[in-house]
Amino acid sequence: MTRAPESVAFDTVRREEAADRFGMWIFLGSEAMLFGAILLVFLVAHIRYLPAFAAASKHLSLPLGTLNTAVLITSSFTMAFAHESASARRWNTAAWTLGITAFLGVAFLCIKGTEYAKEFHEGIAPVMGAPFSYQGPDPVHAQFFFSLYFALTGLHAVHLASGIAVVAGLLLSWRRTDIDSRVRRTHAIGLYWHFVDIVWIFLFPVLYLVHA
Amino acid sequence: MEHIRKLAFAYVALLVLLGLTVGSSFLDLHGANTAVNLLIAAMKAAVVAVVFMKLTGEETLPPLVAVAVALWLAILFGLTLIG
Repeated sequence: MTRAPESVAFDTVRREEAADRFGMWIFLGSEAMLFGAILLVFLVAHIRYLPAFAAASKHLSLPLGTLNTAVLITSSFTMAFAHESASARRWNTAAWTLGITAFLGVAFLCIKGTEYAKEFHEGIAPVMGAPFSYQGPDPVHAQFFFSLYFALTGLHAVHLASGIAVVAGLLLSWRRTDIDSRVRRTHAIGLYWHFVDIVWIFLFPVLYLVHA
Repeated sequence: MEHIRKLAFAYVALLVLLGLTVGSSFLDLHGANTAVNLLIAAMKAAVVAVVFMKLTGEETLPPLVAVAVALWLAILFGLTLIG
């Protein structure tokens, strides 16, 4: 570890890396405020229109939602495994586990896409001008539930897609990347990936398991 | 190897907690279902943050960010729900 810091702003490599990680955490903090604010809107509406929200929530696919949660938790595990492997300089294992992580991310999006298709087909997707037809109680507030559901899961899916793109980019440039950068990038994208996982960990019970 | 065992243990714990969340949704907990769900979600988030993100590792800055975010979110949620 005798290499010089990449930026003139830092005396030592250790401080530079600490600043790197701090920057990533600050970014994730700002992301948490974004998701937190939308979740708060949902929570207030959930309290206010509980019967309508509970009835609407029953129309989401609990088996697919549960499967997706398991898939994303697994991807977080493989991402943590990739980070450990990169830190231990086991490059092949790190690259493989990063690949599996990205693959699981894609699997999550495919399952989510299946759910969306089902919801569009049932007429409970009040997005992009799709017709909304709902037979349950209080359709006005049920529609509000589905709008929030699509806003939250859609925003989450965009985040996950970005994560997959960054992991794919890291893997494509893997051979050209010097070893210190590999570890740093794996760590940074790992933090982001786990954050996206945490967001889903909250979204799943909040959206799929509404109780009257 | 010790690190890997810790990750595997956290992974199993997360799946068990997921099972608990889904399982509890089939029970009538007399209005406590939502609270139980959120409590389990918070536990899962803590496992991911501590074990996978190394939040309680050697560095002081990441926990500082986490506490600051938790504080601002608590203010945001608290003031809103008081109204």
